[in-house]
Formats: sequence, structure tokens, C-alpha cells
Amino acid sequence: MAGLTRTAGAFAVTPHKISVCVLLQIYAPSAQMSLPFPFSSVSQHNRLGLYLLSLTKACDDMYEMKLEELINQLRELGDDVDAWLTENLTNQFSSLSSPDDLLNFFTDMRGILGSLDSGAVQDDRIVLDHNSNLGMFVRRCILAFNLLSFEMDMEIYVMDKATKEMELHRNASGSVSFHLHTPEALFKVTEGIPYYSPIYAQEEFLRISGLLVSRKEKSSTSKFAEATSVASASSSKVEDTRVDESLFLRTNLQIQGFLMEKADAIEAHGNSFFSSSIESFLEQLQNLAPELHRVHFLRYLNKLHSDDYFAALDNLLRYFDYSAGTEGFDLVPPSTGCSMHGRYEIGLLCLGMMHFRFGHPNLALEVLTEAVRVSQQLSNDTCLAYTLAAMSNLLSEMGIASTTSVLGASYSPVTSTASSLSVQQRVYILLKESLRRADTLKLKRLVASNHLAMAKFELMHVQRPLLSFGPKASMRHKTCPISVCKEIRLSAHLISDFSSESSKMTIDGSLSSVWLKDLQKPWSQPVYSRESSSRNNSTFFKFCDHLVSIPGSVSQIIGASYLIRATSWELYGSAPMARMNTLVYATLFGDSSSSSDAELAYLKLIQHLALYKGYKDAFAALKIAEEKFLTVSKSKILLLKLQLLHEHALHRGNLKLAQRICNELGGLASTTMGVDMELKVEASLREARTLLAAKQYSQAANTAHSLFCTCHKFNLQIEKASVLLLLAEIHKMAGNAVMGLPYALASISFCQSFNLDLLKASATLTLAELWRGLGSNHSKRALDLLHGAFPMILGHGGLELRARAYIFEANCYLSDPSFSVSTDSDTVLDSLRQASDELQALEYHELTAEALYLMAMVYDKLGRPEEREEAAALFKKHITALEIPQDVEPNMA
Amino acid sequence: MVSKESCRNEIRTAIGQLSERCLHSAAKWAGEQLVGIEQDPSNSTPSNTRFQRGSSSIRRRFSTNESITTPQPSVGFSQAATPLPEEDEVIDGDLYHLAKSYFNCREYRRASHVLRDQMSKKSVFLRCYSLYLAGEKRKEEEMIELEGSLGKSDAINRELVSLERELSALKRTGEIDSFGLYLYGVVLKEKGNETLARASLVESVNSYPWNWNAWSELQSLCTSIEILNSLNLSNHWMKEFFLASAYQELRMHTESLAKYEYLQGIFSFSNYIQAQTAKAQYSLREFDQVEIMFEDLLRNDPYRVEDMDLYSNVLYAKEACAALSYLAHKVFLTDKYRPESCCIIGNYYSLKGQHEKAVMYFRRALKLNKKYLSAWTLMGHEYVEMKNTPAAIDAYRRAVDINPCDYRAWYGLGQAYEMMGMPFYALHYFRKSIFFLPNDSRLWIAMAKCYQTEQIYMLEEAIKCYKRAVSCTDTEGIALNQLAKLHQKLGRDEEAAVYFEKDVERMDSEGLEGPNMLEALVFLATHFKTHKKFEEAEVYCTRILDYSGPEKEKAKSLLRGIRMEKTGFPSMDMEHFPL
Repeated sequence: MAGLTRTAGAFAVTPHKISVCVLLQIYAPSAQMSLPFPFSSVSQHNRLGLYLLSLTKACDDMYEMKLEELINQLRELGDDVDAWLTENLTNQFSSLSSPDDLLNFFTDMRGILGSLDSGAVQDDRIVLDHNSNLGMFVRRCILAFNLLSFEMDMEIYVMDKATKEMELHRNASGSVSFHLHTPEALFKVTEGIPYYSPIYAQEEFLRISGLLVSRKEKSSTSKFAEATSVASASSSKVEDTRVDESLFLRTNLQIQGFLMEKADAIEAHGNSFFSSSIESFLEQLQNLAPELHRVHFLRYLNKLHSDDYFAALDNLLRYFDYSAGTEGFDLVPPSTGCSMHGRYEIGLLCLGMMHFRFGHPNLALEVLTEAVRVSQQLSNDTCLAYTLAAMSNLLSEMGIASTTSVLGASYSPVTSTASSLSVQQRVYILLKESLRRADTLKLKRLVASNHLAMAKFELMHVQRPLLSFGPKASMRHKTCPISVCKEIRLSAHLISDFSSESSKMTIDGSLSSVWLKDLQKPWSQPVYSRESSSRNNSTFFKFCDHLVSIPGSVSQIIGASYLIRATSWELYGSAPMARMNTLVYATLFGDSSSSSDAELAYLKLIQHLALYKGYKDAFAALKIAEEKFLTVSKSKILLLKLQLLHEHALHRGNLKLAQRICNELGGLASTTMGVDMELKVEASLREARTLLAAKQYSQAANTAHSLFCTCHKFNLQIEKASVLLLLAEIHKMAGNAVMGLPYALASISFCQSFNLDLLKASATLTLAELWRGLGSNHSKRALDLLHGAFPMILGHGGLELRARAYIFEANCYLSDPSFSVSTDSDTVLDSLRQASDELQALEYHELTAEALYLMAMVYDKLGRPEEREEAAALFKKHITALEIPQDVEPNMA
Repeated sequence: MVSKESCRNEIRTAIGQLSERCLHSAAKWAGEQLVGIEQDPSNSTPSNTRFQRGSSSIRRRFSTNESITTPQPSVGFSQAATPLPEEDEVIDGDLYHLAKSYFNCREYRRASHVLRDQMSKKSVFLRCYSLYLAGEKRKEEEMIELEGSLGKSDAINRELVSLERELSALKRTGEIDSFGLYLYGVVLKEKGNETLARASLVESVNSYPWNWNAWSELQSLCTSIEILNSLNLSNHWMKEFFLASAYQELRMHTESLAKYEYLQGIFSFSNYIQAQTAKAQYSLREFDQVEIMFEDLLRNDPYRVEDMDLYSNVLYAKEACAALSYLAHKVFLTDKYRPESCCIIGNYYSLKGQHEKAVMYFRRALKLNKKYLSAWTLMGHEYVEMKNTPAAIDAYRRAVDINPCDYRAWYGLGQAYEMMGMPFYALHYFRKSIFFLPNDSRLWIAMAKCYQTEQIYMLEEAIKCYKRAVSCTDTEGIALNQLAKLHQKLGRDEEAAVYFEKDVERMDSEGLEGPNMLEALVFLATHFKTHKKFEEAEVYCTRILDYSGPEKEKAKSLLRGIRMEKTGFPSMDMEHFPL
């Protein structure tokens, strides 16, 4: 008996279902002629049929439509029948005046089903086939009703009453919200899911307003998503658990799907406002269903995203204590012995990733090592694959100073084999291991995100044979853009897996709610317009179309691949490609991504604006982004703002401000060794540049030197290249060209081995400037160098770089004795005009003044006094602006 | 000091008033305290004295306690004698009697219906109270009817809303008596409004202190010492009972014991006080004393089931199988469907090694009372014995979620995870348990062992933990031995020697022998010899000679070496110059 009632819980009679039944009765009244009363045409009748079909399909969703909504949708169905339908529906409801009527109603429902034995259906009667969708629905309803106990019968009746009263009330009180009038108990009942609706609405709102997950988080969070989604699919088949929420019964499938959606939402909107609202909702859910342990996991996720360490830890441990990692994490059918031991290794994995996120890399490493060991002991290969991926992610993200004693202390077969290798090599090995396992286990999402990690690795690290000895060992010291591209492409294969296997992959509960959302979309506009009956068909297929929906975690990974593309193009030096990929990301994956990824995309676009369009546009864009992301935890917007302000201050010559911002920037970084390395490097790089601008050469050189040492210690190769360039720059400005040359050359060779084309072009420019600094007899060589780099600089360089190149070119020509201004003035003037325009956008007073000065000189030589005066006036303006830095910072506020 | 006579009179009146209002458990409690007061020899009937006879045995055995019991300078007792409220209402007598009998037959709705138009405070209280109980009854039924597999349904007492409305209206107009305030507090607590509930209960106990129900509701709302201290309670001897019980809940056992000792001056024969004292002593791990107290208690009150689970725990810890069996059979005959009885039987089976059966009985106990903390923990222990770690973890976690201060369950969680080879994960739980009980050497030792595992191998941390264990007076002497060994392993012979010496000292004082002793002696002998402290070395060598085995031979050779060195001929040289 117990088993029987349990299975009944999978489909419960609710007021909404009763109203669908009423409509079905209207659609197919028993013993009626071909076209029942209110309908004037067959197509009209069919339209109701299609609508009912979609309603029955959506009824496995978490949310149930309210009567009000149903009536609204009926209204949108158009036609003259809607009034009649609505009235009939409400009448039917009012006629259900006692539980007994309900019993009679369901007895009548039997009548609209065709008899089982009659094989051929008579043409002129509308009879629901037993095995049709609608017929099945009616049968399920009848069965569910028959299984109800006496008490539940009462409850349904009460709910019915409530629904009806609500409706009446609404009619009576007009615009006044009925919530105020109905007692709380009724309110709870009438709302499909009492507590969700406000959150739901809000979620929708945020979905529209928000975009995206941090690069750092990327791989780990997508793993979560993978773990959770696949899990619920398999667990829901076995379990027939149900949860009571305000007396409605929901299937496990619905609940799991719903919770997954919530998990996605948490990731997508990591701000504190959202977090507190979802927290209160989760608390309520937990009160209602204390045995639904997934709620603890969601609370953990929520706390994780709102940076509450203790609460996150507490909830994580609680979840694994209760569920032994088996609820919602069944990635693979439990192999022998697993059930006995639980899946606590997944707990370790999650704990490790949590420590990582909270900036405890060493703790994280210890925990992950334990995870590796336990998964090996319990031969949980899936978890092992994930753990290795998480480990490699951790190792590559955190700066580890010494290569020894990180993994050496802990015992672990996989990791200890690599104890003699450098961190980079270990990351590589871990990734390879993880990829191999994921491949054999067919963990598609993990494979994809591993490919992405691999792409990142290839991007940042010089390919070097792991063990190089003997004369035949290849000595290629270069990164390989092709392999980066290959990896990114491999990761994008994921989406094709999903579009082809959709039928198999999407058994998770979230799909049934997709149905409802899709229902809402077409219904919001009058789809079933009267004139075209052919369009009905197309909308119907639109419904079916959504069966092939791509899970959110998949589109997240695909989205991340675009972000990585953008990053790699940034590094390789193609601004348009970087911008394009970021835009693709923001437009296509914006709504399915986590907030930190979205933020990253915004960041990239704003940086692009600052470099190529000047500060005005960048600050305007920043303002928009600020509104969107400042509430997000660990927001990088502040960082970006400081960066922009610093650049701006440097260009305008406001060095005090620049210094202050520099200090603020340094203050953002964590004090722990090896954490926030990017930020720390950035801060001291900017400090050196500020010092350079203040003409304190030896101090600037000292800072740059120690920065270089740090970069070397933490293996930050790309940063090394730019630090070397800065050193060359410092020596150039100090007038010590000979000292600068080796730095410039070293920087160029670094750029070459990492394929950093744009940086290389800018290093070449510096090199050229250094040559010229050695004396005007080197002008020719300098000019040649510059012209070699010109295509790259003009094609992809930012405003500043281009202007510098133009001015330098003009300088070279002007100092060349063989160059005659009078005959070839346009060559010089064009460059200078271009340079001064671009620099004015940047408000780079010093360089603008230089360009204008040169222009004035040229005009003077050419004997064009008017233009000369104009240039001179502008020159004066910029010089005064430089000398008296205005502290008016409209954008600082 | 309050006079016994006044106490007696107060309680007598109170019992009448409480049972008149059908507050049966409060009346029961008051009754117990009433007979707990030493009887006047003048008007004591023989039955009275018989009832109290055996009770003094404990005082005889622990005669030291007597000296402390004598007047305490405690709490400046300006006993603001609360006047007993006059029983005013005889008017609605008939209907009230009918309602009361309905109530006693558990027909609550009928009872409240009878009193529907009665306006006296007493009638209003009984009407509201029976309505509340009717709601509770329905709630419990619903909980079973609607229970899904995901745990509790959201069954609520449907009367709460209307009750709150009515009682708050009454309170506003001032037409509420202290019993009404008590009920109002209970309703507020159920609705989750703890602050208001506390205020209402405080008001209730200040105006009528003899209602123990109100005190215990109040106590359940005092989850921290800050809250407890912030309560504005007027002085009354009932407050002492309350404080004693509250201190106990807040794990301030010595304070609680002091209060109980004071109260025992008046209520010398109160079983309640005796049981509570035993509880506090149990928390202080004075098992022998607790056992005697419980024996005594059972002799006076042989059909008592309350608190007996604690007694069974003591018997279990002392492995007193016969006594536990006797207790189990006795409570089984008294009332086998009490959670305490089930727990006792579970303990009995566990001691007998029948863990499946033990689990069954703990389950039954939990079915009867879902929030039965110790049953969850004990069930966890059983599952650990049965090697079903996930189930054990689940059980422990439930205990912890009911009361996050339950250090036993935290410890159990740690152990379970350690068993599964996840020592790093386990550390968190050990830390938690130590946080709640920092003075227990066993917890420190468990944590140290965790650090010592080959997977983590953080020996420095392990040493720190063992040091803490030593400072908490480690009775089993594991810590000293381990400290010595760890230092030895790390090559710090000086420290190792210090700890070995301390260990030897400890073993000597406890008269222990064994491999640990031998090992320590051998180490010390060699250590002192290499550091040329020959006297000490010789002492240890001669002690080793008492043992047999290869160590004896080693000791002999050491002695020989020492003698050689003492005589000035370094042993090394001797070999080079054959005589």
C-alpha cells in the first residue's frame, strides 16, 4: 500500500489540473456531434485542442498556472469563444460545491474517453483516444483522484474552493490585489507554489538585466553544473520521492529540475540582494522538506557566491553528511562497494574548490589531494577526473613560488610521480590525466572544459618536451597558437553532442519547466491569430523545437570558449578579433552565463573602448557596467575603474592622483603569498610607470627589477615580456639608450616565443626609438625597424601606440638630412595630424604637445604662418594643461 | 533562607491551582517538590516517613557534601513574597467542572465549547488551553497523515492564529492572568516570535512563580548565557530551580551543581533535584558517584523512567552488564513505549554486542521523539560498530543539527570520516567538538592521531595537540607516551627524554607495567648513557633487568659499558688495545 501511494505522488490532482479537465470536457464532450456547441469552425476547435495539448505537457512543471493566468491565456486564444469558455470554466468550478461533486466530476470524466475495445473510432464523434496525450492525461487524473485518501479528498476540495473564491474576489474587488484579502492559508494554496512566485519574477527580471562567471571560476562551476545536472537525471528515475508544499505534491523530477534552475540562477546573479532573497526561500523549502538534502547544497552555493565562508562550509559539510554525496551526484551507476561507502570524495572535491575560491590555496591543495586518494581507493574514476581537473586549475591559477614541497609532502600516487617536475609540468600532467579519464568515461562537459583549460595552458606556456635529453630532443621554444585553436575547437564539439543526443540527455526535470516558459513566450503575443491556419502549425513546431534545448551548463562552457578566444586574441594582438569574440559572447551567451563571466566580457569591451576610442566612451560604458555588477561579489569593476583612472591620470600628467590610485590598486590584493598575483603584478607595474612619468628613473628601474624577479619566481612569462619592455622604456627615457637595447631585445624574443605580436610591435617601436637615441646616424635603421612593425601597429594597436609611432616616424624624417620638408611635407604632416587627433582623445597632453610642436615647426618651414599659429596655440593649451593638472574628475564620483 | 514551612504552604496552594487549570505536569512537578521538603516530625504520618526513608543514604555516603549545603551566602535573597492569588471564581462552577472533566478525558474541543461564553479568567484560560491542545492533537495526526518521504509536512497548529489574536487582545486590555500569559508565551514561541514569547513568559513567572511549565518553556528559550542574564526575573526560590536547570543546559555544570546543592537544603528529599544533580555529575564524568545516586533514586522511586537513560549510559560506560539488564527489564515492564525505555534497551543490546537490535530500539526511541538527542548519537555509535559509516554520519549529523553543542556527535563525525580514510576532512569535525569541550584530553588525542596519519603527517600539529591533552590531565596516559615517541622520531632526544621520564613517573604512580614502560626505560637508559649521565642511566638499566627478553641483555651490555666508561676506560679504546 505504501508503494502504491508513493507512485501516486508522482502525479497529483490539483485545482489547475481540474480546470484543464473542465476544458477537456468542453473540448470533447461525451456523446456529441462532430463540432461541439460553442465552436464555429473546425480550426477553432483544433486550436483549443493544441492549447490543451501544450497545457498537459507543461503540467509536469514545478509551477502551476493560476486560474487567472489560465483565463488570460484563454482570452489570448482569441475568438468569440473565449468569453464562453471562461464563464463555463468558472461556472463549473462554482458547481463543485462539495467533495462529493468532485467525485461525480471525475466519474463524468470517464465518459469523454473512448472505450478501449472499439478499435475504429466513429468519425462524427469526438472521443479521446486512450493512448493519446490528452487521453493519457485524463486517465492519469482519474487514477490520481481515485488513489486519494479521504483526507486528501477534503484538501483538494478546500483548495478548489479557494481557487474559486480567489477568482470571485478578483472580479469583485477589481484592481485591488487579492492577496490582501485572502487569509494566508488560502493565499498559500492559491499560488501555484506559494513562496516562489516573487522570486521567480525577480529571477526573470535579473535574467533580462544581467549578463554572466569569472574566468577563474569557470571550469569549477561548470563542473558543478555538470555534476548536478547529470545527477538528477539518473536519480530521478529511481526515486519516487515527493515533497509536500502547501499540500501540492511534486515529483522528484520536478523538484530536482527546479533546484537546478535555482543553482544556475545563483551562479548567474551573484549579488547580495539576490542571495538574501534566495536564502530565505531556501530556508522555507528546507522547513517544508527537511529530507530534501539538495537544499543544503544550494544554500552552500548561495553562500559561496555571497562570500560567506563559515556558512558555506557549514552547509557543504551538512549536505555531504546527510546525503553521503549520493543525492544528486549520481554521475555513474554506483559500482560495487560504492553504496556502502557513500560518495564523500565528492565532498572533498567541493570543499577543495571552496577553499580555492576563498583564497586558501594550500588548504585547497591538501583537501584535493585527499580527494584524489579517496577516489582512487573507492575507484571512483569520475570524481578522480574532476578532482584532477580542479587541481590543475588550482595549480595554474595560484602562484606557487617554490616548485618543491607543494605536493611532495602529501602522499598520492598520481601527484607524487610528478614530484620532481615543475608546477607547469605538473599542471600539464594533471590535465592530461583528467582529460584521458573524462574521455574514457564519456564525461562530455568535463572533456570540453578540460580542452579549454588545455587551451589556456597552451596559450601561456612555451611548449617544451617534458624530458629533454639527447641531441634529438626538439628545442622549439614557442607557444603554438594552432594547438590553442585546436583545443578551443575540441571543446566546442560539446554542443554538437547535445544537439544530436538531446532526447537522451535532457531527462532532467528542468526541461519540464522549459515547457512553461516556452508556453509563455508564444502566448504573450497573439499567436493564434484568426486569419492564418497555417501559422498554427508553425507555432506547434516551435513548441517541439524547444525539446532540443541546450542545458545551461553546456552553453556556459561554449560561452567560456569564446571568452578564451577573446583572451587569446588579446594576447596575440588582434584587437578586432578579440572584440568580436567578446561581442559574440555577450550577445549569445549573456543570459546563460554566470555573473562573473558576464562581468569579464564587459571588462574586456570597456578596456577595448579605452584603448581604441578614448576615455570618454570608456567611462560612459563603465558607468553602465557599474550599475550592473558592483553588487556582485568579488567584482572586478572596481579594479577596472582604478586602471582606467590611473591611465587617464598618467596621460593628463596628474602624477599625484596616479600615485594615489596606484596605492589603492595595491591595496585590493590579498596579503597572502601567491594569491592575487595578477593584481599584485599589475599594481607594481603601474607604480613603476608612475615613477617613470615622474622622471624618477632609478626608482622606477628598481621597482621594475624587483617586479621582474617576482614574475620569474611565480613563472609569469607574459608579464615578464612587458616588464622587460618597461625596463627598456625606462632606460630610453633616462637617456641611456645603450642600457636599454638589451632589454628591448630580450622583450622581443620573449614576445616571439609566446607569439605576442602586438607587444612585439610595441617593443620594436621602443627598440627603434633606442637606436635613434644612439644618434641621428642610426635613423635609417630605426626607420626600417619601425616600418617593419607598422602594419601591426596601425592595424591592431591602440591610440597611444599608433600616435607614438606616427610621431616617431615624423621625428625620424625630420632629423634625416636627406629629407626635404618642402617637397615631402605631407608625409610628415599627415602622420602628425593623425597623432595629435588620436592623442587628444586620450587627453595625453605631453605627447600631443610634442606632435603639435613638430607640426608648428613644419608649418613654419613651409611658410604657412596661419596654420603654424593654430598649432602653436593648441600646443600652448596642452602645455598649460600639463603644467597645471586640473583636479576636476567628473568620472571619479 | 526561605523557611520550609512557607515553601510547603505555597506549593500546597499552587498544586490546587495548577490542577484546577488542568496544568497536570506542572502540578506533578510541584507535588514532587512538596514531598521533597523534609517533613515536620510533628505531623508526619508513618507513610510519609516511609516514603522518605532511604533518601538520606547518599548524604551519608558523601558526608563532605553536607558541609557545603549549610547556609550559603548566595543571592541576596530579599524574598519578595509573591502573594498567592485568591481563588476568586466560584460563579461559573458547574460549567467549569464539566469542561474540566471533558478536558481530563482528552476531549478538548468539547471542553472549549462548554466554556465558550464564560468570561472569568480561569474559564478563558482553560478554554484557550484546551483549544491549543486540540490544535496540537490535530497537528500530530496530520503530521502522520501527510508525511511525505522528504520528511515533515508543514502541518501546523491551526488554532495558533486565533489564539494569538485573542490572547494579545486580552493582554492589551489587561484582562489576562499569569496562566494566560504562560499560554500566550507558548503560542508566541510556536509562531517563532521568541523575544515576545520570552517577555510574556517572564511576566507570567514573575506574577505566578509556581508554574514549572512556564519556567521550562522559558528555559528552552534561553539559548545563551547572555539571554539568560538579560531576563528580568524577580527573586523567588523557584528562580533557583530555573537557574539551575538553565545553567545545566548551557553546560555550566559547576554553577548548576552549586544551585542544586543550595536547593537541597530545603528540598532535601526531592527526587527531581537528585536526578538533576546526577545529570550534572554525569557531564563532569563522575560516573561512580552518578551510579550511586541513581541506585538511590531507583530505590525510592522504582517505577521512574525519566532520566534513567542516563543511568543506562553510566552502566554502559562501566560495562555493568547485569545492572543494565536489570534496569532494561524493569523499565520495559514499567512502560516500554517511552523513548527513555527504548534507549535503555538499545544500550543493553549494544553492550551485548547485538548492534542491529540496538539500532532498532534507538529507532523506536526516535520514532517516539524525533528530537531525542542522545538516541541519535548512540545510534551513530551503533552504526559505526556495524561499519555502516554513511548511516552513522547521517545519525550524528542529525544530533548536531538538533543541538550544535553536542560535542559527542561532532566527535563521532570526525571518527567516522577518519575511519573512511579522510583524515583532513575529519579534522574539521574534531575541531568543532574541541570547541565545545576544550578540556577533554580524549578529543585532543583524537585530533592528534588524525594529524599523525600517514596521509597528513603533520607531526608538529600532532605534538601541539598532545601537549594540550597532557595539560587536560589525560587519564589514559596516551599523550605523554606519544609525545615522547614523536619527539624521538623527530630526533629531538632531549624533549623525548623529558616526556619519557614523565611517562615513567605516571606509570609508576599508577602501578602500570607493560611494553610502554619497557620502551621508555630502554630509551632513557640509552639516552642518559650517551649523554654521560651514568647515575640515571644505571638506575634505568637496573629497572630493565626486572624484565625478561632481549631488552634485559641490552640493559646488561649497557651497564657493562657504563661501568667501563666510569672507570675511565672509554669502551672504544678498549677494543683497540687488547689487554
